[in-house]
Amino acid sequence: MAKQYELNDDSVIVVIGSGAGGATVANELAQKGIDVVCLEAGSRLTLADVVNHPATMDAKMGWHDKRIGNFLWVCKTVGGTTMRWSGITPRFQEHEFAARSTYGQIDAGTTLIDWPITFKEIEPYYVKAEDKMGVSGTHGIPASAETNNYKVFKAAAKRVGYKDVNSNRSAINPVARNGRPGCQQISFCHSGCAIGAKWSTLYTEVPAAEATGHFELRANAMALRVNHDETGKATGVVYKDSDGVTHEQKARAVCVAGNVVETARILLNSESSLFPHGLGNSSGQVGQNYMRHTFGVALAVMPKPVNFHRGARQTGVVYDEQGHNPERGFAGGYQLQAIAVEPWNVSATIGGWGPENSVFIENYTSLAGLFITGEDPPEAKNRISLHSTERDANGLPVPVIEYRNHANTNAMREHAIDSSRQMYESLGATEFWGGDAPVGCHNMGVARMSADPKDGVTNRWGQAHDIPNLFVSDGSLFSSSGGGNPTLTIVALAIRQAEHIAERMAQKEL
Amino acid sequence: MTELYTTRRRFMLASLAFSGLAVTGTSFLRATAAWANTGDNEDLTHFARLLFPHDGVADAVYAEAMAGVLSGFEANPETAGFLDRAEAALNAQQDEAWFDVDEAAQISAIKNIQDEAFFAAILGALRGSFYYHPAVWEHINYPGSSKEHGGYLHRGFDDISWLPESN
Repeated sequence: MAKQYELNDDSVIVVIGSGAGGATVANELAQKGIDVVCLEAGSRLTLADVVNHPATMDAKMGWHDKRIGNFLWVCKTVGGTTMRWSGITPRFQEHEFAARSTYGQIDAGTTLIDWPITFKEIEPYYVKAEDKMGVSGTHGIPASAETNNYKVFKAAAKRVGYKDVNSNRSAINPVARNGRPGCQQISFCHSGCAIGAKWSTLYTEVPAAEATGHFELRANAMALRVNHDETGKATGVVYKDSDGVTHEQKARAVCVAGNVVETARILLNSESSLFPHGLGNSSGQVGQNYMRHTFGVALAVMPKPVNFHRGARQTGVVYDEQGHNPERGFAGGYQLQAIAVEPWNVSATIGGWGPENSVFIENYTSLAGLFITGEDPPEAKNRISLHSTERDANGLPVPVIEYRNHANTNAMREHAIDSSRQMYESLGATEFWGGDAPVGCHNMGVARMSADPKDGVTNRWGQAHDIPNLFVSDGSLFSSSGGGNPTLTIVALAIRQAEHIAERMAQKEL
Repeated sequence: MTELYTTRRRFMLASLAFSGLAVTGTSFLRATAAWANTGDNEDLTHFARLLFPHDGVADAVYAEAMAGVLSGFEANPETAGFLDRAEAALNAQQDEAWFDVDEAAQISAIKNIQDEAFFAAILGALRGSFYYHPAVWEHINYPGSSKEHGGYLHRGFDDISWLPESN
């Protein structure tokens, strides 16, 4: 069934990356009968390779190539970071698509813009994405089962007066659906789901695309650069295979979805005499406006056992703080999401040493935890660039990642931690820790969509302003970060983009 | 030192601990137990206990975890000798050996070196080898992998009963 294409076949669309954005756009195109070659840097695991041990799985599927600067917790494997994610799938709110109009420009350093699309325009694609992914609480799917950790979280939230809390909006099957089983509450979903209850493109979009006969996955294929012709159209993608041999796959069009670091690197590394600052970068915006959300974690030792290691890692959200209420002292909003953490990660999150750290692990079975995710404003200086001299094992310039929390982000986190402390103390917590969690797993903005080509890299379809047959198909597209987890929006945009590509092809414009 | 640099170092080291562990596992821990049991390293074992204190975890476990750190460090020219440097830096702070002063003085000597790069490297690697050690998991009642037991769907994922509100 799975097809094989010739390297010189320039009728195919080449998709770089097989995560939420890449595999979705690829499958949606293949379902329409459009031929796709998907290049994935990582290898193809099976469910049998998934063990319930986070460190082992990080070695199998984590991205460990050399980087300078802030850490990003992302994956190099077929399925990309959908292998690791926790499955929380909120929609962005209407006002978040009009961030600049709603918040104003926060200060001279921020580079907020409105999205070139509205909530109304993306809404039908949210519906399709929720159906595809099996989001709990939508399409007749029940709410996710309430874990011990979620029950503590919900009771604490209600005690402090929060009203909008539920266990919907998880892309982990509560019950069997579409050939995948219901959740068995194995936990530490970031090891990968050993039974496939969690939506990951490894065992959904990729095999579905293969079944069409219009799709070829090339694993262990590290994309290096995108080539173009003298008219500035993309013509193919140069990649290195597992033997270190370099090939070029010719292409009708190219979709880049390598998560922010690789997406920025591929575009910047594709510089030429025609495009001296990299592909799609006449605006100078490639790599800039890197956003990764206001992140935080709260952990509390409860008076009696919780056993938060039992059950799905993340279940349930408090939405009360997600609106824009500037009287709190910051723009934008945040969500609180119940989360469980393995012992090493408890210690690493808290940081430091001594009894202030170890008391939390000593009381491991009495821990409750939550995760904070909120909007962070874009800034030009938060960016991904290429080192001028350092090269990695593939001969690629080493990416330099620069991200600092904005004052707005810090104010939001403090507010969220204060809320979390009140929640857990209302139930008699004996110890509390709350702080930053600079893990970089919600990565956005480095090739953002903009109405004005000066402000961004891509248009309202994720199509490069400069190059009509070059698309960006991952979180790099986001014009602003919203407050909620990005994957649902990535998938919705990818479905929408595939429709656009098919229409342009039908009109002979691609 | 910039915030950026601190963050980078913290997570580079966390990754280092992770990748080291993936190739070690329990057979490695058995192999290094010989080193751990020689008794020549009681100061480093005690050092490990002060970093991550858990009454009820045996010295042998701290020693094994520290042996794991040492083994990972020796394989890398950038980190080889870090434990020696820590030992020397602790001992240099008082007339007698660090191990022989009282615990308050020991802790204060650790605080004096906690901003050193070698200390951060040791702390990050030890955090990995110690908190992934099966004996530590047993001590804190974390049973490890649940996949082979069918997860917790029928084994108490929602069995909490002490919460004041039922819903």
